[in-house]
Amino acid sequence: MRERTLMNARGLGLLLLTVLCVYSFGTSFLFAGDGNSQNLNHILSIPNAEFLLGTDHFGRNMWLRLADALQLSLFLALACVLTSVVTGVILGVLAATRGGWIDRLIDMLVTLIMALPGLVLVMIFASIAPGSLLVLYIAIALIQWVEYFRLTRAVIQRVDTSPAVESSRLMGFGLWYLFRRHYWPVLAPQLLTLAAFGAANAVLMMASLGFVYVGIQPPTAELGQMIVELFPYYQEAPWLLAQPLLALALLVLAFHLCGRRGADAPD
Amino acid sequence: MHLIKTTDLAVYAGNVELLQPLSLTLNKGERLTILGQTGSGKSLLAQAIMGNLSESLHCEGNVELFGKSRSLSERKALWGRQLTLLPQEPWNALSPLMTARNQLKETYRLVRGLAESAARTRTEEDLNQFELQAGADKRVDQLSGGMAQRVAITCAMAGGAQVLLADEPTKGLDISRRDHVVGQLKAQAADGVLLTITHDVAVARQTGGRVMVMKDGVLLEEGLAEDVLSTPQHPYTRALISADPAKWWQPPRQVFPEDSEALISARQLTVGRGDQALVSGLNFTVHPGEVVGVVGDSGCGKSTLGDTLLGLIPPHSGLVDRQKGISAHHWQKLYQDPTAAVSHAVPLNVLLTDLVQLHNLDATSVPALMARLGLSETLLQRTASEVSGGELQRFCLLRILLLKPVFLFADEPTSRLDPVTTREVSQLLVDLAREQGCAVMLVSHDPMLIEKRCDRVIQLSA
Repeated sequence: MRERTLMNARGLGLLLLTVLCVYSFGTSFLFAGDGNSQNLNHILSIPNAEFLLGTDHFGRNMWLRLADALQLSLFLALACVLTSVVTGVILGVLAATRGGWIDRLIDMLVTLIMALPGLVLVMIFASIAPGSLLVLYIAIALIQWVEYFRLTRAVIQRVDTSPAVESSRLMGFGLWYLFRRHYWPVLAPQLLTLAAFGAANAVLMMASLGFVYVGIQPPTAELGQMIVELFPYYQEAPWLLAQPLLALALLVLAFHLCGRRGADAPD
Repeated sequence: MHLIKTTDLAVYAGNVELLQPLSLTLNKGERLTILGQTGSGKSLLAQAIMGNLSESLHCEGNVELFGKSRSLSERKALWGRQLTLLPQEPWNALSPLMTARNQLKETYRLVRGLAESAARTRTEEDLNQFELQAGADKRVDQLSGGMAQRVAITCAMAGGAQVLLADEPTKGLDISRRDHVVGQLKAQAADGVLLTITHDVAVARQTGGRVMVMKDGVLLEEGLAEDVLSTPQHPYTRALISADPAKWWQPPRQVFPEDSEALISARQLTVGRGDQALVSGLNFTVHPGEVVGVVGDSGCGKSTLGDTLLGLIPPHSGLVDRQKGISAHHWQKLYQDPTAAVSHAVPLNVLLTDLVQLHNLDATSVPALMARLGLSETLLQRTASEVSGGELQRFCLLRILLLKPVFLFADEPTSRLDPVTTREVSQLLVDLAREQGCAVMLVSHDPMLIEKRCDRVIQLSA
C-alpha cells in the first residue's frame, strides 16, 4: 500500500537517473563527432536519421550536445554532493562531540553563509571567474555543506547522549568506532534524502547561472545556457527549446524521486 | 461475544518458528496472563494480535477482534480507542520532544476526543493518581525509568480502550506502584479484555483469571490462575514460582573493614543532574570484591550516583576518590534498558568481535562464558532489535565480563528479566565480585533481591 508506492517512487527515480546516465555517458562512446562542431548547411533541422534530435542554429548535433550538457550537470552534482557531504559530516561530528569553541566557531561560519542568499553567493563567485567550472563547483559546495552540517550536528547531539554511546565510550571505543556503529546508521538514511535534493539543487543552480550568462561560457554545452541560446528560435523550432528544458526537468525529477524516504525510515 | 480469538496464530522469522501455533479465545470481562521467561515469544503474541510485528517477522493463522476477522489496516483503525498495547519500552513509546503532561493531554484531546478543558482536568487527575506531578513538566529523557514507565502506561490507557494488551506493564516499578498499576489495568478492562504478558508471578497472581505458561514459544501449561500457581504441574512452572527472590538461598555476607584498601571512597558527596542536586551528604567506601546494594525511591538519584562514581558527570560538591592506576575500561556500567545500550546496526557477534579486537581480549574464554550466561551462537547472529530484553542484558553482561572490570555499577539490571533469569544474572554479579575481586554496586527496587545478594546497602533519600 503506502510502503509499496514509496518503494516505487524511489525505484522510478533510480531508473530515470540510470537512463539519463546511460544516454549521456554512452553517447560519447557510441557516436562519432562532437557537439561543438558547426555545420551551417544543416541549421535548425528537424530530428532525422542522421541527427536524432535535430540541429541547432549553428547546425550543431543536438543529440551530442544534450549528452555533453547532461554529463556536465551529473558530474557537477556528484562532485558538489560528495564534497559537501564529507565536509558537512566531518565538521558536524566535530561540533557535536567536541562542543566548546570549535562548535561556536563553525556555527559562526554557518550563520555567515546562511545570511546570504545561496544563488547570490554563487553568482558573486561566478562573476569573479566567469566560465570556470572549478570556481562554480567550489561556490556551490561552499553553500551546500551547511545543510549537511546542520543535520549531522542535530542528529549526533541526540545520539551522543544515548546509553549505547555512553556504554561504548566506557568500554574504551574511540570516535571512529562510535561513528561507524552508532552515528552513521542513524545518519545515513537522512543524509541520502538530503543528498538527493542537494544534487537537484546543484544542477538547477548551474542551469540558472548559465541562463543569466555568468556560468559556463559558450561553446561548451550546458543546459541553462542552451535554453537561453535556443530561446529566440522557439517559433521556428520549438522542439529544440523543449529538449534542454525536458532534460533539466527529468534530471531534477529523478533526483527528487530518489530522495523519497524508503519504507524502513520512520515518519 | 469473543473480543479476541486467535486460531493457530504462529510467528516466524524466515523459516524459524518463534511462536508455536496458538489458539485462544477471550470473551468480554475475561483476563489472561501469559507467564514465561524472556525470549519465550510472549511479546510476539501481543504484537501479532495488534498487527505491529517488525518487518523481518511474519505471522500465520487467523486473528479475530470484536467478533470479526480483521485485516492489518482494519486493526490499525482500532488502535488507541478500542485496542491498546501497553508498550514494553517507555523510551521508545513516548515522544522525546514533549513533556509528560502535554503528552498525556494530547492523548486525551486527540485520541479520546475530549475538549481542551476536560482533557486538562483528566490529565491532572491522572498525574495525581499515578504520583507523577514531580515529573509532569519533564521530557522522557529527564524522567527516571519507573516514572517513564508510568507515563507510558497512563498515556496508553488514556485512549479509553477496553481491550488491553499489556507487555510487561510492571517492569521497573517498585512493589506498591506495581500493585497500583495492576489495579488500574483490571479496572479499565472490567468490561473488556486484559491480556497481560509478564515474567512476574506476583502480577499473574494479582491479575487472576486464566494463566498460560510459555517457554521458547511453546505453551506448557494453562488453567485458572489460582490452580496453576498453587499446584503447578509442569517442572518449568514450578521453577518459575520457586525463583521468587524471597525463596532464594542466601550466601554468607562478607564484611569488609572500613580501613581496608578502598576502591572508591566518597566524602560529603552531593550528586545531581544539571543544576538540580538530588542526594547530598553521602559518605561511603567500596572495596574490591564487595557487593553493595543501592536502594531508594524512583527518581531519587540512583543512576546519577552511578554516573558520578564512574566519572561520567562531575559531583555537585564533595569528593570521589577512585583508586589510581586502573585503566578506564575496567570501570563499567550495566544498564537498566539493554535495548537502548547497544548498537542496533550490526549483529551482536560483530559487536563482540569489535570489543575483543579493541582490547586484545582472550577470545577462547568466550564460549565458556556464553554457556554460563545461556547465550547461543545462533542468537549472536541476530541484531539487538531481534532478540529479547533478557537475552540482550545477558549479552551486555558477557561483554562486561570479558573486560574483567574492577568496578561495575549495575543499574536495575534485572528489572526486565524473569525470575529464573534474575536469579541467575544476579548470582553471576555476585560471582563476578567474589571470583575477580570486582566491586559491584547493585541498584534494585526489589528489597528481597538486595537482601539476598548484597553485603551492605546504601539507602538514598532526597
